[in-house]
Amino acid sequence: MNNSSLPKAGILAIILVATALISWECYVRNKGFDSSYDDEGALWSDKRAMVYEPADKATVFIGSSRIKFDLDIDYWERETGSHAIQLACVGSTPIPVLQNLANDEKFKGKLVVDVTEILFFSDEPPSRQTPDKNLKFYKERTPAQKASFQINHLLESNFVFLDKERLSLNAKLAELQIPNRPGVFEFPLFPDGFGRVKFNRQEYMTENFIRDTNQQNQVKGVWAFLQKMSKEPPASGAKLDTIFNAVKLAVDKIKARGGDVLFVRTPSSGPFLMGENMGYPRAAYFDKLLAITNCKGIHFNDYPVINHFVCPEFSHLSQPDATIFTKEFIRILHDEKGWAFPKLPSTNK
Amino acid sequence: MVFNSYTFIVFFIVMLVLHNLPFSWKTKKVNLLLASYVFYAAWNPPFILLLWLSTVVDFFVGRALYTQENKHKRKLLLVLSLIGNLGMLCFFKYGTFLLENFTHLINLFGVDFHPAKPNIILPAGISFYTFTTLCYTIDMYKRKSEPVKSMLDFSLFVTFFPHLVAGPIVRPPQLVPQFETPRKASQQQLVNGLLLLSLGLFMKVVLADSMLAGSADAVFTARSPLHTLDAWMGVLAFSAQIFFDFAGYSTCAIGVASCLGFVLPENFLYPYAAIGFSDFWRRWHITLSAWLRDYLYIPLGGNRNGTVRTYVNIMITMLLGGLWHGANWTFVVWGALHGFYLWIEKIIQNFSKKSTVPIAVNTSGQMEVLTNLPKDGQSKTLKNFFLAMITFFFINVTWVFFRAPDFHSAWQLLCSMFSHVPKAEALLTTLAIIKISVIVFFLVLFHWLMRNTRVIAVANKMPWWLVGIIWAFLLILLFWSQESSSAFIYFQF
Repeated sequence: MNNSSLPKAGILAIILVATALISWECYVRNKGFDSSYDDEGALWSDKRAMVYEPADKATVFIGSSRIKFDLDIDYWERETGSHAIQLACVGSTPIPVLQNLANDEKFKGKLVVDVTEILFFSDEPPSRQTPDKNLKFYKERTPAQKASFQINHLLESNFVFLDKERLSLNAKLAELQIPNRPGVFEFPLFPDGFGRVKFNRQEYMTENFIRDTNQQNQVKGVWAFLQKMSKEPPASGAKLDTIFNAVKLAVDKIKARGGDVLFVRTPSSGPFLMGENMGYPRAAYFDKLLAITNCKGIHFNDYPVINHFVCPEFSHLSQPDATIFTKEFIRILHDEKGWAFPKLPSTNK
Repeated sequence: MVFNSYTFIVFFIVMLVLHNLPFSWKTKKVNLLLASYVFYAAWNPPFILLLWLSTVVDFFVGRALYTQENKHKRKLLLVLSLIGNLGMLCFFKYGTFLLENFTHLINLFGVDFHPAKPNIILPAGISFYTFTTLCYTIDMYKRKSEPVKSMLDFSLFVTFFPHLVAGPIVRPPQLVPQFETPRKASQQQLVNGLLLLSLGLFMKVVLADSMLAGSADAVFTARSPLHTLDAWMGVLAFSAQIFFDFAGYSTCAIGVASCLGFVLPENFLYPYAAIGFSDFWRRWHITLSAWLRDYLYIPLGGNRNGTVRTYVNIMITMLLGGLWHGANWTFVVWGALHGFYLWIEKIIQNFSKKSTVPIAVNTSGQMEVLTNLPKDGQSKTLKNFFLAMITFFFINVTWVFFRAPDFHSAWQLLCSMFSHVPKAEALLTTLAIIKISVIVFFLVLFHWLMRNTRVIAVANKMPWWLVGIIWAFLLILLFWSQESSSAFIYFQF
């Protein structure tokens, strides 16, 4: 090839790349995929930066994956007229984020803490990994990263194939499921319809997932795998006291600045709920947490309107149920716990 | 700002448009300078003050060094420049390290001293731009070249965004003359540049970040001892990762500069096909090796003061070269190992009466590596391939110290690599092992096949449709890998 032919090669490359990407985009859309955002440090940090909105304009949510699935953020914002800032991290304890907010003098707002006992009362390093990583990213993010995030948002909103979790090169290679040597740990795959992420960080199951018991069983298999992997008994004694004290210290700091903290136990069902009830009796964990921190709390079992849900994979609500849960959650917060929202009439509590 | 980010793509398109508008050359240079400051400030805006300080001080000190006739004043000016540049580098890069070692030392003598840990943030690229400005003032002291006439040209020489944060480390004669006359990329330069940029991004995003980083990180941060297979795979993964990461950055930098009509020196020449360790250093981070040779090894006396001094000078150069990479004793050991390898190689060369191979970069910055290599070193014989693989093997051993966070981890990994460790853990998935094996195999193969040529030369010899298909393949994998814009490993140095 002579020198003047390289531009021809460039033009051919552009045509081939455009053809491949458009074909891939059409294919994945045809397979039923829609936009799902990369729920890593950049998206989390974008939400973390919003926590300084006045308490009557926003509520911050921290916790694990349950509150991400169970809170219908669009419904919440429409009904209450206030923002829901979702800072929960999948498979993680919320304590590092709670401590971060407590140590941030500028945060004086309303905070809802989701309690999934097996994660909340864990001091194992893996349960802190994602929150620590997100907090590090937030503290160190550069102006360039902020700008890249905005461009990425634009692209992710328009191109379905930009779904790192399920459609990236590594995700597709992982689907080959090549057997490993004995003793090698590999996290099992979640099915495509589970854990789609909106820009507001709400997660949801697709309609196909709710219909497909195979996919649901695949997720149940993941929970069984995790249960098998878990060798530590539930925290008790001095270990549990340390966790309670750390939470109380953080909560007191927020309250001292005029903030408000409420704990919520979101629904689970089936064998998962039975296991949780056995491992983490309510009196010794959730109720004790409320007593020690002197905070208000909502346990789903106390309310007939939200204690009947059947979670498709035992642990998270489907989208229609999440809307019902959110509706009742707002009502309880407003009517019983005295939380004020711009669009709802003021209460005397 | 990193090359592998959406921000950079937008920034680069704006720069290309601005650079091709009918502005005066001075306006274009001002645009480039301002853009370079934006590029740098996009990390941490306050650190731009350090860059300004370094630029202004060295511009005036450099000019004074050249014009001053009084020997004592010239020496004083040089010392001032060295203290200024190296002092800044020492404070930001080695401050914590020096304090920790001082504390350990006096604690050994029974003094109970426990200072608060300083929280010093390392400014991006400080090691690179310090070496760039240092070589200017030293050249001025030696009157090796004329001082840069305008502050604008000097600022652009120091700050030009393609090389600013991770090299290639440029010398004044390589870049300053390019700012003196109007430059605009020809169509050929533009397309070459875009091809190199695509290749560099592919190396960084697809190979280093997407395919290798996870396995290398897992092995080097493993708490328990690993199986021999896992240990070797982790080390090979890191060998490939650091090459793709750093060579990827250099390739992007050269490509970006080419798109704007500028030429930067090459920094990598297929180092894993090196035959021997001096050959490795002519192929790995070439601009740093040449810098250390010209501004450290030769001023120390080089090979002019007898055998023993030559060996000592080699070791001092490699130890300091190791320390340049990071404030940790593991980097010093990495440098020491390379120094030791060079000793052994020199002993063998002396024994077999072979002459020393000439160095890669001449004083005007032109690459002469390939033409200066001895003929038997260039030929792709089976014997040379065997020697290259031996070199590659020993280079892999050095990477253990380079990547391990501490000596305990390094030793644990070396034990796993070279002995059977009871109760060793199997860590890497079969998929990870396949990825590493395939990538390392093709990495070594390509290095061997390409060791006497360059990418652009090969591309120009191939049919255009084949180049187009390969180029498209690189870009499709780049889009498909969807790696977020993680920093380049060498930014921390």
